[in-house]
Amino acid sequence: MIERDHKSAAFFDAAAEDRLVIRRCIGCRQALPPEAVVCTTCAGTDLEWVQAEGTGLLASYTVVHRAPHPAYRVPYTIGVVELDEGPWLYARVNAESPTVGLPVRVAFRHPEEGESFPVFEEVPA
Amino acid sequence: MSIANRTTIAGLGLTDVGKVYDRSATELAAEAVRLAAVDAGLPLTEVDGLLVSAGVSGAPKLSLQKVLGLTDLRLLAEFNALGASPAAMIAHAAATVANGEASAVACVFADAPLKPKGSARDAFGKPRARPTGFAAYHAEIGAVTPNLFYALAAQRHMATYGTTSEQFGAIAVGQRAWAADNPAAQFRDPLTLELHQASPLVAEPLRLFDCCLVSNGGAAVIVTSAERAADLAQPPVEVLGWGQAHPGRVMHRDSDFGLRTGAADAGPAALKMAGVDVGDVDLLQLYDCYTYTVLVTLEDYGFVPKGEGGAFVAEGHLAPGGSLPCNTGGGQLSAYYLTGFTPVVEAVVQARGQGGARQVDKTDVVMVSGNGGVLEHHATLVLGGAR
Repeated sequence: MIERDHKSAAFFDAAAEDRLVIRRCIGCRQALPPEAVVCTTCAGTDLEWVQAEGTGLLASYTVVHRAPHPAYRVPYTIGVVELDEGPWLYARVNAESPTVGLPVRVAFRHPEEGESFPVFEEVPA
Repeated sequence: MSIANRTTIAGLGLTDVGKVYDRSATELAAEAVRLAAVDAGLPLTEVDGLLVSAGVSGAPKLSLQKVLGLTDLRLLAEFNALGASPAAMIAHAAATVANGEASAVACVFADAPLKPKGSARDAFGKPRARPTGFAAYHAEIGAVTPNLFYALAAQRHMATYGTTSEQFGAIAVGQRAWAADNPAAQFRDPLTLELHQASPLVAEPLRLFDCCLVSNGGAAVIVTSAERAADLAQPPVEVLGWGQAHPGRVMHRDSDFGLRTGAADAGPAALKMAGVDVGDVDLLQLYDCYTYTVLVTLEDYGFVPKGEGGAFVAEGHLAPGGSLPCNTGGGQLSAYYLTGFTPVVEAVVQARGQGGARQVDKTDVVMVSGNGGVLEHHATLVLGGAR
């Protein structure tokens, strides 16, 4: 179950509405991952939330076979999703046979308890 | 570096390693320092510097001074660059001794993550506190533990350069062959490529035999001036050069995650300080939390062009009888995991000519790597064998 904190509230509010938001540096316009608190290009700390298209590709992925903890059901796939805007984020991926470079797009999970969150799905060819 | 401020590793201490359940991390650390002093033939009271590095146990701490009964130290600090700590501590100790700020600095790491009941997974996979926010999201989706993040790094290397699981396997097989002649190694039974390929997937592409083991134990060295070491018990191992690089992790399209690591900056810096180049290196001791880590470090240090590491290791160069012996004690994959001390200990043993059946012929220049986090921290040492 995901519990929000003050840094992630806007991200989870958006996920509840099926929207993916990322950070953008107000100073240099660099697009940043949702958890960024500082711009890795100009070190600026004035960041805004902007909506992402929700499309991208797999910069990498792994199918996890040995559960990090007994609570996880294996196998499951974690991707490093490279959004079209540039930022990377870690996410669950639903794809029959994932490959690096596979085009993906966002969907959302709305669990009964805890915050909503994004997952990524293979874009049908 | 001028003759006047040359420094050496004069003492080495290694406790029992593996399923050692009767001693705490602090006790293991104290034991390792005492063993290193005895090994050097140096009274413990002459140690005037102490650098301590802790693992998941959270100890040893500064209080190790008190545990050892040391007084009037001129250098004392807890050191944390994760797995890069041992090499970085030794570099700091060498600089301190070279500057005349201390004369005999002990550097120590110890940990006791294994419990009598429970698996290696329990040792490193346990969340320390209930996370919130983005950390809770990562916990929810299972984007946790080093296995998974190194798998992501290795997968990207494979997709970019055509590296294969069999090539990773060649590293594991070669190191197991070295481990056969290391009495301290936890795994000494022969490993074949077939067994590697048949071992269960942990997180694709990493199989069980691509992953290091988990150990309880402690290791320490004592760094002194070359002048002081000349009167001590062991053949001195010279600290010729060092370098560090902390690239962090860029989470953006331009990231070279998995493809290029801090080794690409730390390695050349250390070689330059030592006044040698990769062609002069006789022996490698590389941090091998995963087989992939060895491969990417070989490329980043410049032993092979980027992307050609897989084909190189598959030719058996790192294994016994190969042209570039690497991890000759079995490494973290087969011997024991004491973070960056695993490669340091074997480097010192070999550089002194004390490797027994696994001793290599030439140890004039020994290159040692330390890697911390998920490729976020790197430290390199260049050591000179006793001549």
